This record gives sequence, structure tokens and C-alpha cells, in this order.
Amino acid sequence: MTSKDGRNAEIVLLAEKRKQMAESVDVDDLRRRLLGAGYVADAGLATALACAVSLERAVLLEGDAGVGKTDAARALASVFGATLLRLQCYEGLDLAAAAYDWNYGKQLLAIRAAEAVHDRAPDLYADEFLIRRPLLAALGATQARRIVLLIDEIDRADDEFEAFLLEFLSDFAISIPERGTVAAVHPPIVVLTSNRTRDLHDALKRRCFYHWIGHPSVEREIEILRLHLPDVEPALARDVARAAAALRTRDLRKVPGIAESLDWAQTLQLLGAQRLGEDVFDTSLGSVLKYPEDIELVRASAAAIVSTVRADDAAPSP
Amino acid sequence: MLDDVALAVHLDRALLARGVVAGTRRARTFAEVLRVLPPRTAGEAYWRARVAMLPSVDDLDAFDAAFVDVFGALALRQAQDDGETARRESSAATTREGTLRRETLPPPPSERPAGEKLAEQAPTQWVVASSERRLAETAFEELDDDERAAILRLIARVRVAAEGRLSRRRRRHARGDRFDFRGTLRGAARTAGELVRRAATRRRERLRPVVFLLDVSGSMAPFARALIQYAHVTALARPAVRAFAFATQLTDLTPLLKRADDEHLMGALGAAVRDYGGGTRIGAALRAFNDRFGQRGIARGGTVVILSDGWERDDPALVAREMLRLRRLARRIVWVNPHKRHPAYEPLARGMAAALPYLDAFLSGHSLRTLEAVADAIEGRDA
Repeated sequence: MTSKDGRNAEIVLLAEKRKQMAESVDVDDLRRRLLGAGYVADAGLATALACAVSLERAVLLEGDAGVGKTDAARALASVFGATLLRLQCYEGLDLAAAAYDWNYGKQLLAIRAAEAVHDRAPDLYADEFLIRRPLLAALGATQARRIVLLIDEIDRADDEFEAFLLEFLSDFAISIPERGTVAAVHPPIVVLTSNRTRDLHDALKRRCFYHWIGHPSVEREIEILRLHLPDVEPALARDVARAAAALRTRDLRKVPGIAESLDWAQTLQLLGAQRLGEDVFDTSLGSVLKYPEDIELVRASAAAIVSTVRADDAAPSP
Repeated sequence: MLDDVALAVHLDRALLARGVVAGTRRARTFAEVLRVLPPRTAGEAYWRARVAMLPSVDDLDAFDAAFVDVFGALALRQAQDDGETARRESSAATTREGTLRRETLPPPPSERPAGEKLAEQAPTQWVVASSERRLAETAFEELDDDERAAILRLIARVRVAAEGRLSRRRRRHARGDRFDFRGTLRGAARTAGELVRRAATRRRERLRPVVFLLDVSGSMAPFARALIQYAHVTALARPAVRAFAFATQLTDLTPLLKRADDEHLMGALGAAVRDYGGGTRIGAALRAFNDRFGQRGIARGGTVVILSDGWERDDPALVAREMLRLRRLARRIVWVNPHKRHPAYEPLARGMAAALPYLDAFLSGHSLRTLEAVADAIEGRDA
């Protein structure tokens, strides 16, 4: 088992077994179930997730901040009734924090205890001393599709960690020198997200399905607002979605994502607004724009935005 | 009817023809997707192809074109009706399309044969070597073609600027500052369980990024040439070097830095910079850099070297605003303005005056000798 060939043979065998068991997930069906879990996915995202689940391969979601990358993984976990394991990446993230570590204190105590009673040396690398971090824990599923591993903001980790992930993502195995290779019987559903603060290596991207999550259309945003904030007036939700779309066409430092428009709608509701008027628009801008320069810029043309939002009131709403 | 594999290979080839390297691994994945999740409509086929074969959102336009090449326009249209296509403002796309246009550009001096002859004729080279000292002091714009070719080679001898910072990542070190539990215990296994040797770790060093923002408008061109050469030499020697050119808009030169050799660099540069020799919009260029690259992380914690004479066509207030933003992102800003070499120089250009309060170093960098000072400033040695 410790020899390299033996290890590979074992992994290959597992992969073969998995292939026979794998059952494909229908794209439209997944899309409906995601909606049931409170997540509005478009055709592209649903396809990417369905491919990832069906082919047991990771999916990389990129997009601006606040477009729902992390939530997609959450929704996916709830669709399959799976446990979500989240690994937040940061510079310097190493194996001890990402994959596994040994409980050294406990190991030392075990040695001392064995010495005290003149017992044989304990097995220091037994399960009880192993601390399973998200990557290793993700390999431990006892049934298929029971674990969703979210590797969040992979662009914040450094090259070294990315290189380590290559092995993990192609074999769904981690080698622990003291124990040999731990391979997954049922590989986890892996979702990686990136904000594109830097370019990822193509070697990593090649191993993943890829989807760029863009900002939603007005109709889809209304749908999302209504789904998450059922108490908000439909007319207000429509106004917010239209205004957010209008803001996204402006030349802003940070255009609002869905997270911001949700905040906005909630703020407006708290302010007791039924519709988006110029007065509340002005007072609530801080919940949707995060740079003073942006707020200043938009404030100057508040009237124009509010009037375009309300202009097509006459048109029947979807 | 084509089989899955053939279809995937066709798409891979079409992508390659459009300049997108997807690769066999992705093609194999796509073929597998087609087998496991056979598409029923053209729109479904589009999305299956895209999630499996598209390397990056930057390649989206080329991908759509290649998809049309293989499957026809119908599928693409269906996919677009099927929900929004996740479009992004063409940030990276615009920086690349520049490579397609060559016309309006003056041939870069490196394409002229003079420099090559110089390299081949040993006696001439000897003459140049003897006058190295004079060359080192001469401003780049006052050199003739032969001298310029020689000086570009000499730039390779300017010290490579590299400033480190402590990384969050640790490595074993005999005199480390943090006790390494794991290393100590593993070491103890070799000494029958006795803790003989104390292992420790120390934080690793990582090089800070260096970003060159080069004004390539008319009068700056000879100096931009010299600095891009220096950026090239630096990029070959160390990681995390990026370069951008601007006149009226911003062009990312980074892909050229590592690939091109000396001779081809300037030719490629000339082709990439569409508005080589046009006017200058410093504020707009800085803004484009901050929005697309700086804020995302490229400038964070690094040194930004800006080459420009500070003649701003537009509002200097924009220059000030964007310099402030850059100031918040970068660790150090070095401004290189060749006019500064004249003793009577005063920063009268409006853009220059606006930028001045935000600079850590303000240098002339007009000759080989003064480039050394730029290298020092990148590392913060002048302060």
C-alpha cells in the first residue's frame, strides 16, 4: 500500500467503481431544486453545477463580489442534504490548516502515560490523534453526494496551496506520510470560488468546470428579491431591481451586487418606503454603494435614476 | 452525426484557431459531459460546451465565435434567449485586441537592421564598449540608433530591484522564532522518542510586486523603450513584475515581458500599443489601472513606477484623485520624469503638479546611470 504503484492502483480502482455508481443529474431538475432551496440559478450556472455533480469534478465559480458565488455552494448542499465544509483561503494557508494536523499535546501525553505504566509505546498516528481539517474531512463521506466542499476565494491563497490542490482535485486523495494515502470512496462535490484578485494557474482551471456569474437581469433580480424578502412590496422589489440595474451601467468603483440590492430593499422597507422615491433613494444610498465617490456621483443624478426606474410604471410588470 | 469525442475535438480546434488554448483535458471533459448529460436543445449544448471548455471569462468573445464556427449561430442565439449570458464589461478584452492592429505605428527602432549589425561586427562592439561610460550618462532620446541598440543591451546589467516582505507562510529554520511542534516530534521519532532537537520555523520572504506604468506618447517613447527593457530584464529575473503602457488608453504588456526576447520585445510592444505616439490622458489611464488591476490586488503592497512627463490633456483633478487611490493601494510610488534632469526643471505640467504630493520618489531616469537610481527607489533605498 505504501509503494507508489500500489497506491495508484487503489485510486484507479476507486475511480472505476465510482464511475459505475455515478448517476447523472438533470440540469433543469437541479435548477428547480436550487430554486426550492432559495437560490435562483440561470441556465449556465445550473449546467455547471449539474456537470460538476454528475462527473464528480470540481467547479470554479468566478464573478464580482456579491453575485452569489458562496451562496451557490450553500444552496447546492441543501439540495442534496449534504454537509457543507467551508475552507476560507488566505495567504499562507498550509496543509496543517487545510488538510490535517496531529494533536501533538495528546500524543505527548500518550507517550508519558505509556511510560508511567511501562506499557508499550502507543500508536501515535492512530485516528484519535488525527485532526481532520476541511480537505481531509471532505474525503470521509459514507454516501455519495453527502459532502459539499467549498474552497472559498482561492485567489487569496498562494501558489503553493494551489499546487497542492492539483493532486487533491484529480485524485480526491491526500497522502499522509505516517498513514499512507487516504482516498475518498465517495468524492465530495467541490465548489471553488474566486474574485479574480489574481489569475489562477491554468493547471488548476483545467481540472474544473468553469462558470462566470454575471450580474442578474432585472427579472431575475426581482425573482431573487421576492424569494429572499417575501415581506417586501412587489412594487418596491421591482424598483430596487431596476435601480440596481441602472446603477450597474454607471461608471462606479464598485457596482452593487445582489447582496447589496438585498440590503437595499431591506433598508427601504425599514424606512417604510412603498416605492423608491427621490427622498428615500438619497437616504438609503449608503446600503448599496460602498465608496463615498460613488455615492457622490450617483447623488448628483438621483432624479434621473428615480425617474427612469419609475418611467415604465405604465408598462405591465412581469 | 458526429460522436462526442470528435465534436469536442472540433471545438477545441476552433478555439485554438481563435487564439484560445483550451487543451485536450478540457476537450475530454466536454466529451464526457456530452455522454453523461446529452443536450436536448442547441442552447443546452452551448452551456455544456462553455462550462467545460471556456478557460476564462476574458476569452468569452472568442469562445462564442468559435462556438458559432462549429455549431452555427442558432445555438448561440438560443442560449442567449435562455437567460442572460453572463457578460462582463470588456475589461481584459480591450487590452488584448490591441495586438491585432499594427497599421498606424512607426516601425520600432529594434526592427531596423542597424542594431543587429552592431552585434555582429566585433570591432564596432569594441568601440561601443570603450564609450560605455559616455553612453551611460547620455539621455536615451539623444542616442542614435546604433547607440540605442547598444544601451538596450547594457540595461541588462542594471541591478534587478527586488524588495522582500515577510510572507504568512513559514518554513523550517534553525533559529526560527516559532516552536515547531510537528517538526520536533517527527525529529524525536529518530531519537527513540526523546525530544533532543528543538525544531522551529520562521516566516518566509516573498518579493513585493513591481508595476511599471509607462507613458508611450510622443516625447516619452525613447524613455519608455528603455524602461520596458528594464522591466523585461527584471521580469526574467524575478516573479511579480507587471508592465502597462498608456497614452490615451491602457494596454497590458505583461504577457510580452517574459516571452519576448530583446529583439522582438520592441516590435511586439509597438504592435500592442495602439496609440503609441498619441496624446496623453494620465488620469484616465490611472483610473483604468486602478479599476481593473490595482484594486484587485496587483498593486497592493508593491511599488508602482510611473513614467510620464505629466502633460495631462484632461482634468488634472482626476490625476490627483487616482493618485490618491493608488497611494492607498501601493506601498511606494516612484515617478520617473526625464525632464527633471534639466537643472531649471519645475513641475509646471498640470498633471505632474497634481501627482507630486503622492510620490515617494521623483527621479529623472533618463540615462543608464540614472536607471540605477530607479532600481534603488523601487526598493526604497533612496529614502
